[in-house]
Amino acid sequence: MDQFYGIFLYIVALLTMGGIYAILTLGLNIQWGFTGLFNAGIAGFLAVGAYTSALLTTAASERHIGGLEAPYIVGLGAAMVTSGIIAYVIGKICIRLRSDYLAIATIGIAEILRLVVKNETWATNGPRGVSMVPKPFETLPEPYNQICFLLLILATVGVIYLLIERARRSPWGRVMTAIRENEDAARAAGKDVERLRIEAFVIGSMLMGLAGGFMAHYLKFIGPNATDPLTSTFLVWVMLTVGGSANNKGAILGAMLIWTVWSATEIFTSRLPEELAIRTAYIRIFLIGLLLQIILQKFSKGILPEQRPGGQSTAAGQSTLAGRSTMAGSKKDST
Amino acid sequence: MIEFINFHLIPGLVLGSIYALGAIGVTLTFGILRFANFAHGETMTLGVYFTLSLIILTGLHPLVVMPLAMALTTIVILGVDRVFYKPLRAAPTVVLVMASFGLMLMVRSAIQFTWGVQLTSLSTGIVKPYIFFDALRISPKHVMIIIATILLMLVVHFLLTRTRMGKAMRAMADSPELARLTGIDTEAVVRMTWIIGTCLATAAGVFLAIDTHVETLMGYKLLLPMFAAAILGGIGRPYGAVAGGLIIGVVEELSTYAWIGDGPLLNPGYKAGVAFAIMVVMLIWRPSGLFRGRVF
Amino acid sequence: MLKKKLLGVLAGAACAFGAGSALADDIVVGSVAGVTGPIAELVAPIVAGRNLAVEHVNAQGGLLGGDTMVLVLADSQCDPKAGVDAGQKVVNVEQVVAVVGASCSGATNGMVQSVTIPSGVVAISDSATAPSITELEDNDLVFRVAPSDAYQGLALAQLARDAGFEKLAMTYANDDYNAGIAAVFEKSFQELGGTITGNQAHEPNKASYRSEVSTLSNGDPEGLAIFAYYGGSGITIIRNSLENGLFDKFLGADGMYDISVIEQIGADNLKDNIMVTQSASDDQDASYQAFADFYQESTGIDPSAPYAAHGYDAAFLVALAIEQAGAAERDKIAAALREVSNGEGTVIRPGEWEKAKAAIAAGEAINYEGASGVVDFDENGDVTGVFSVNTVGDDNNWTSKLLK
Repeated sequence: MDQFYGIFLYIVALLTMGGIYAILTLGLNIQWGFTGLFNAGIAGFLAVGAYTSALLTTAASERHIGGLEAPYIVGLGAAMVTSGIIAYVIGKICIRLRSDYLAIATIGIAEILRLVVKNETWATNGPRGVSMVPKPFETLPEPYNQICFLLLILATVGVIYLLIERARRSPWGRVMTAIRENEDAARAAGKDVERLRIEAFVIGSMLMGLAGGFMAHYLKFIGPNATDPLTSTFLVWVMLTVGGSANNKGAILGAMLIWTVWSATEIFTSRLPEELAIRTAYIRIFLIGLLLQIILQKFSKGILPEQRPGGQSTAAGQSTLAGRSTMAGSKKDST
Repeated sequence: MIEFINFHLIPGLVLGSIYALGAIGVTLTFGILRFANFAHGETMTLGVYFTLSLIILTGLHPLVVMPLAMALTTIVILGVDRVFYKPLRAAPTVVLVMASFGLMLMVRSAIQFTWGVQLTSLSTGIVKPYIFFDALRISPKHVMIIIATILLMLVVHFLLTRTRMGKAMRAMADSPELARLTGIDTEAVVRMTWIIGTCLATAAGVFLAIDTHVETLMGYKLLLPMFAAAILGGIGRPYGAVAGGLIIGVVEELSTYAWIGDGPLLNPGYKAGVAFAIMVVMLIWRPSGLFRGRVF
Repeated sequence: MLKKKLLGVLAGAACAFGAGSALADDIVVGSVAGVTGPIAELVAPIVAGRNLAVEHVNAQGGLLGGDTMVLVLADSQCDPKAGVDAGQKVVNVEQVVAVVGASCSGATNGMVQSVTIPSGVVAISDSATAPSITELEDNDLVFRVAPSDAYQGLALAQLARDAGFEKLAMTYANDDYNAGIAAVFEKSFQELGGTITGNQAHEPNKASYRSEVSTLSNGDPEGLAIFAYYGGSGITIIRNSLENGLFDKFLGADGMYDISVIEQIGADNLKDNIMVTQSASDDQDASYQAFADFYQESTGIDPSAPYAAHGYDAAFLVALAIEQAGAAERDKIAAALREVSNGEGTVIRPGEWEKAKAAIAAGEAINYEGASGVVDFDENGDVTGVFSVNTVGDDNNWTSKLLK
């Protein structure tokens, strides 16, 4: 019976982490899927959110600033506000850059943020990180604390999903899609394109900050290694691409699916013959890469492709993507 | 002043040469295949490990076996292109970026599986630098790296300007649609892009290994500075990438010079941020790069 | 829905596997390590150490009534996210009795706080040195055979002063391990009357540190204290310093203790010029010697690799604790772990599993003296650590001498 109970607990953990990634992926979906903003600095916003919430809610410590023992709602709220403010500043400066360039600018900014976190030891305890971060429901007995935390994450994902779906169908959402597809036409129609893009960038980044806050509470620890671009930025992109860009269900599915692949493959590879011993860990990463290639080749539009409000077919979605890539190709020297 | 040249300017130039060689591959893939190749760092690492194996097999100098290592790496990368990138040629850019991300993981883990993760080096011991005029110090390996880099750049320059293929490549980088209309064999151009990019990446990796050591993440660690160099120079502009690489290498080293007082100007912990800061400023100030590359 | 189906398949497969591992004769212990992370090259020898301990146990009669000890490897990637995930897998899916790991301090911090402590599983770390782990409310479930770096920083500072250094420059790699130890060293060295002429963080894994060492050489320091992993930046810093004649005396902590430092820099350049502290017994010590011979023979890796001995000790201690507890039950491990290493009883050294098994069966008290030191846990589950100073000897290899 222990076996089943153990597997149940593992699935709870899998869904919790998958849920946190789903918040990140939904945030990215607002930016890329709906508005066409290539944010490759997810790790930066995640770090800002995680540290903000962690520093506000932990007990006082001489190793880092903060330590106010604030309630979770304050910590998570502040995480969203701080990442929103940073996103606004970045947006103001960088938003006019087009896809790939915005991507590289945001990677650069995220790396600089990481360096700040690592070097400003007085504030963040530098590379040593912030330990003993409280976790909601942790005083409940096992396994209820884990289940309650999972429910909190899933409820958050649900609420965000509903809000984004509503926004997507609203006039605001339609303008966003219009900007993504034909910026000049949207501008000609009298829309303030810059402002709307900044809005989408800020809202998406706030969600990333929120996910960061949840992550710090879930891990009970946050350090620079947790905001490594490999698992905090690129993996989120893989999730959105695989799940289906511009489709919120796809974003959630992608997060859950890829996190499951990322995590659960180890259960199998750790059972490979003993002679391979430590090398199985490399086989696992190889298999993850290979699986990603297969998914990309079979579903290059994502598992759940974009669906337009009003229920148009996926053909529209396909032409959108195709349209976007040729647009990217034909626009040059526009400065 | 002499300290400035010895410990900041020359190391900066060496590092810059390595960035530059790597960045040419990045900028060509970006310009011609139109995606940011995250696996480029791993290509570099693979080239170094082939070189390492060849050195162990033959006992020859790294630079002697390097051409063979380049050929082996190129074969692998062309195979990779055939299997993983070719089916996605018509796909949106972001899918190609994700595919290169997956390849980065695959190549890296294949290297770690085959060669292990233990740190090694191509040559051991300390080589004292040449000393000129009692003050100027240049290490023999740096002389070698800088000369070899210049030679490689000349070869690339010749390829791009004097051969049909090179002209086709530059046409592709300028305007893929137009190139296709004029009847350029795009697949051949793509192959050539991989060949040049891979050979230069191998060279960059081997130079880095000669200067430091061999380990499985060495290429990945250079990826972002190489992107920065490519952006700085302008996408699709090989000469721009060279300039970008040199500038970033030199500025990184100069940022920690004691310009004011005794301490370094910038806390060396932030040194890695210099490349990114230059890149971001460049993007905002002049997104087409120094050499007027493509803007998407 | 695809998701449900997938989870179903996964759960089913996991159950099938789980049923396999629950067979009577396997006792499963988690082995969490950062095998693919940024310090993969350091982790591989540590995992080899753990595996060697298990080989010894199984070759000499196994656990309890002849059960096989099995280590299940999970990758913590040196990242708290992956550390927690790896902990979940070994604790819940594999149902391990205890966990060894999880390499980096950050990953260990996350794993023990959000997985092993709530689940009541003992975690014994072989390389996490962050002082913050001492302070956790761990219900006596977190142990370390690696000493907190508060101890080693002090030991190195003392050593430096004893060797006559008045003015030192220092530089540290900005990661969780080295930054901590450097901070302790700086404070201790100054308290002991020394002067630090310059202290700089550096970002590891850069190709060149010439500019850093050049600015550090200002102010006439007598030597350079390097807190870095040998592979990340340590070797490069020594090489850049020597090539340019900026420093010729070096001090370091155990991240620098590896044979490749000598191999790559050359023994002649380092003889009489480098001192590296390491938390291990002296190499004349019987326990270390026993371990070193086995390790060298079985893995072909140099036994002096950082924390390889600790890896062996951690896994061997878990085996002893299971044997002492008389059952592979999670809640008995912590108490048993203290019993087998409290400094009293028949001395057990690495490789002496048969002897230990017989002693426990006879009801005698045993005391494990590990390859990395005497490993007697204090009330926090930490070891105070014995340090050795290592210099380059005549055989062009490290020679160790126990400090005090």
